[in-house]
Amino acid sequence: MKIVVVFKWARNPLDARVSADAAISWPGVKLAASDDDPAAMEIAAALAAGDEVVGLTIGDGDTAWAAARGAARTVVVTDAPGETDSAATGAALAAAVRRMTGVGAVLIGDSAWDYAVVSALAGRLGWPAVAGVTAACPERGELRVTRRLGAATQALSAAGPVVLAVTANRAEKNVPGMKEVLAARKKPVEKITAADLNTASRYQVQTQGVRFPDTPPARIIDGGDPPTACEQLIAALRTDGVI
Amino acid sequence: MAIDGWVIIVDENRAGGMLDAARRLGGRVTAAVAGRRDLAKRAAGMGFDRVLCWESADGVPPEAYAAAMAERAAQEAPRLVLASDAPPARVLLGAAAAALNAALVASVRAVAAAGEKIVVSRAAAEGKVLEDIAVSGALAGIFDGDDAEQRGGAAVTVEIVPAEAGAALRVLSTEAESGAAGLLTAARVVGVGLGLRARDDLQIIEKLAAAMGAETACTLPVCDDMRWFASHSVVGSSHSRIAPDLYIALGISGQPQHMSGVRDAKVVVAVNSDPEARIFKNCDYGIVGDLYKIVPVLTAAFAASKNP
Repeated sequence: MKIVVVFKWARNPLDARVSADAAISWPGVKLAASDDDPAAMEIAAALAAGDEVVGLTIGDGDTAWAAARGAARTVVVTDAPGETDSAATGAALAAAVRRMTGVGAVLIGDSAWDYAVVSALAGRLGWPAVAGVTAACPERGELRVTRRLGAATQALSAAGPVVLAVTANRAEKNVPGMKEVLAARKKPVEKITAADLNTASRYQVQTQGVRFPDTPPARIIDGGDPPTACEQLIAALRTDGVI
Repeated sequence: MAIDGWVIIVDENRAGGMLDAARRLGGRVTAAVAGRRDLAKRAAGMGFDRVLCWESADGVPPEAYAAAMAERAAQEAPRLVLASDAPPARVLLGAAAAALNAALVASVRAVAAAGEKIVVSRAAAEGKVLEDIAVSGALAGIFDGDDAEQRGGAAVTVEIVPAEAGAALRVLSTEAESGAAGLLTAARVVGVGLGLRARDDLQIIEKLAAAMGAETACTLPVCDDMRWFASHSVVGSSHSRIAPDLYIALGISGQPQHMSGVRDAKVVVAVNSDPEARIFKNCDYGIVGDLYKIVPVLTAAFAASKNP
C-alpha cells in the first residue's frame, strides 16, 4: 500500500522566543520533526510492506528526514502558509496528497504543537480519519488501528484510504546515522508551490496582538530548609481549602 | 451582531467551558453530539439552545459521522464551531471546518465578537503568551480554555439526526484500564517524574501518598522508559487526564504533554531541584529543593495534619 508520511510541518513552540512585551519571535528556528513524527514514520514503513512511502513536508528546510527513514521520495510544498493559518497549511498538505495516485493511507504525527493542522488535513482530504493512533497493522484487507482514548485503549478497523494521526509513546529508537542521511539526500525531491495546488480560502486570519496571560505566577518556596518550606506549603494549602 | 455557534461534543470534557465561550458571541449555541443518546441528553441539560445528536450505533466510532455532521454544518453555516482536543472531536471539527471553509485554530482559550469579525485568543509559545487573532469568515477552534460547570434550566429536546455512518470505520474492541479508575476520581494525586533516581525510592512516594490519602501517578517516561508504573498510571495528553483538588508533582520537569493531563487540577504543587524547571511556570506552589529531603518532611506534615 502506498503511504504518505507528513513530517516537519511546524516549529517547536519551545524554540519560540518571547520578549518582555510578549512578542514572539523565531530567530533561526526552522520547521522541526515533532516527537510524534518518528512514530508516524515507523507505522508507515510497516504498513507499506515494501510499497512506496512518500515523505511530504512544507517549507525550505532539510528534506531528508523521511528519506533517511525509508521514504523513497519526498514532496515539498515550499511556500505553504504556516503558523497563524493552520487551515491553509492543512489544505496545502491535503492538496499535495490529492496530486498523488494510489495512496492508501496518510500518516501524520498527532502533535500538540498544532492540532489544527492535523484536523485541517483530515477534513480537507475528507477521508476517514483517526487521531491518537498508537499502532496500525494490516488485517483482512483493512487496517487494524489502535488508539488511546483517555484511560482506554480502542481497536478500530479502517478501510482505506485513511488518515492516521499517530501519537508517540516513546522516543525514537533507531535514529538514522550519517550514512543513511547522506544516502537520503540523493533520493528524489519534488518541489511544488501553493499556486500549483490552488487552495483558495474564504476566510482571513490576522494576528492582532500578543499579551501575557493574567494568571498569577506560582508562589515559589525555597526548599533549602525542608521543615520551613513544608510548613509554608501546608499553611497555603489550608488557606486554599484543599486540605 | 449575534453570531451562532456549534459545540461538537463526543464526551463531556470542557463542554460547559465551550458553551460559555460560544455564548460570548451572542448567538444561538447548538450542541452537535456524536455518540450515545444519553450523552446528548446530558448536553441538553447544560443550557445549550439546541442539541443535535448523531446517535452512534454499536461499534461505530464518532468519527464515522464526520461527513454527515459536516454536511449539516454546511447547511446551517454557523460562524463558530468549537471542539475539545479529544481525538474524535478533532476529526469531526476538521470535517466541519472543511465544509465551512473555516479558519482552524488550536489552543483556543476564548472568543469574542469584534464587529463582523471573531477575535480568537489562543495560547502560543507553550502557553507563555496569548495571541489574539481576528478571523473574517467562519472559525473552527480546538478549545483548550477552562471548563465551566453548567446548570441549565429546562432541558431542550434532543434532535436525532438520521445519518449514514459509512462502513469505513468500526470499533473492534475498547479496553478500559481498570487501574486508572481510582486515579480519575481521586481528590489527591502524587505524580512522579524522572527526578526520582531509583525504583526503590518509590517507597518514599508511596508513604507520602498514604499519608495524604492520595493516588500515585507518573509521567510517560517513568512508565515507558523506566517501567516503574503500569501505563494506567500515566497522566498526560495521550493518557489519563485528571482533575484532583490537589496534585503534587515530584521531580517532574513539566513537559506540556504531562501538564495538559493535570490542567483541571484545582491546586498544583511542584517539588523540583531545578529552579529553571518549566513546571514552576505552570503550578500554584513550587518548592525549589531536593525531593529526597522534602518528601519525608511533607509526609510527616500530612500525617500530623490527619491526626492532630
